[in-house]
Amino acid sequence: MSTYRRLAVGMGMNPNATIPEIADEYVRRTQEKPIPPVMVDATDAPCKENILLGDDANLFHLPGPMVHEGDGGRYLATWHFVVAKDPDTRAINWGMYRIMVFDEKTMVGPVLPFSDMGKMFHGKHVPRNEPMPFAVVLAADPLSSIASCAPSQIPEDQLAGMLHGEPVELVKCETCDLEVPAHAEIIIEGEIHPSVSILEAPFGEYTGYRTSPRDPRTVYRIKAITHRNNPMIMVSNPGIPTDENQLLRSFSLGLEMRKLLESQGIPITGVYMMPESTHHMVVVGVKHAYSGIASQIANLAFGSKLGPWFHMIVVVDDKTDIYNKDEVIHALSTKCHPIRGIRKYENDIGTPLNPYASPEERKMGVGAKVLFDCLFPLDWPTSDLPLKVAFSTNYPKDIQEKVLSNWENYGYKN
Amino acid sequence: MAREYDTFVLEDPASVPEDQELELVVRELTPDDRRYKYRSFYAKALISKSESKYSDILKVRLGRGQLLDTPWSIELIKEVSKF
Repeated sequence: MSTYRRLAVGMGMNPNATIPEIADEYVRRTQEKPIPPVMVDATDAPCKENILLGDDANLFHLPGPMVHEGDGGRYLATWHFVVAKDPDTRAINWGMYRIMVFDEKTMVGPVLPFSDMGKMFHGKHVPRNEPMPFAVVLAADPLSSIASCAPSQIPEDQLAGMLHGEPVELVKCETCDLEVPAHAEIIIEGEIHPSVSILEAPFGEYTGYRTSPRDPRTVYRIKAITHRNNPMIMVSNPGIPTDENQLLRSFSLGLEMRKLLESQGIPITGVYMMPESTHHMVVVGVKHAYSGIASQIANLAFGSKLGPWFHMIVVVDDKTDIYNKDEVIHALSTKCHPIRGIRKYENDIGTPLNPYASPEERKMGVGAKVLFDCLFPLDWPTSDLPLKVAFSTNYPKDIQEKVLSNWENYGYKN
Repeated sequence: MAREYDTFVLEDPASVPEDQELELVVRELTPDDRRYKYRSFYAKALISKSESKYSDILKVRLGRGQLLDTPWSIELIKEVSKF
């Protein structure tokens, strides 16, 4: 899933589909009516072909890999999702939160307080000192994995149905009131401990660095493992770009942002989060309809539930191809005033994974954000507006056509 | 034959106390059943920066996983359960 070609295949599209085509298809599917899951019996669920309880449920009987030399442990869950349910609203959450094996019955990983599961766990279970039931789904279908990564308002089990175009089949867990995809390879059930933390990390992270410190983190105690016959696990090996974390998270973050901005009536021409930025930088194209539009975009995006996961917005005009890195860099380095074009947001939400953050900021979850406004001010006189110099803009149409039609005659290759 | 463990030292290694009981997380590097490699546990132990002082070998990693060139030694006293 680390290329758009594979993403297109995962979505059932032509492998040669362009990024805008894949993006439009994602937006189309995720703006239709939510498709709730359907329940199936355990006898129809391949993930129940083997049910291990008690001492038989042993994490070392699964091939959790040491993903990078020097990691804090064997990371069994790097391409997976954790199923949890809000104790009050019963709302479902699927989320991809990395998990390390500690011992036979114990796993550990960060559950950031601003994440959907973090709000349930740190906001409700911890104050009540109540364990939180969980189910880790290893190796689900690709579209369910995409849904679990998407920062959407739609419950992920319904979002997965929308991406599939049909309901996802779920089955009851063995030891708790949760439902999991019936066709997944492996399910690990248990409870997240509300009052004990143990050391987790370091880990080679999606930013391309090993950044977050080895710190006490959230403890998962397991009760059951169920799996298919001869199951497979899926693993992500995060590092320098581009891997599947960076690509898929960039894809869905950018498109959820597009839906947010369009819902507010902002005349954007597109949103593209560059995977090479490790989903930290997003480019927004916009018709410069009124002054302050770049700030409005940044305020909305940084203030939404998408905000904690990225920290740079580049706003360009509708003549700039947001998918073309050369054009974006040209706009950034020529149209963004080094002082007035940059707006800083200090003391914002951050994560322990931000390489730019100080050790203290990482520990406290503090970050910062920045807007790069690459729009020429509307109050500049037309005669003073810099005019882009390019073949397509500075020569008469007939000259352009003549040159293009004679290009090979001049001795150049097309 | 000496068993091998490793641990992460998050402060200056020079400040780690030797020859007195302390609690730390260690990982098994040479388990009898290789499926258990890297199993972690909290332990009460004595450690020394000398490789030969105690019976078992303790490899040391820094906070981001960097492995020190020279191993230390360890004597495990008991495993500590956190649950």
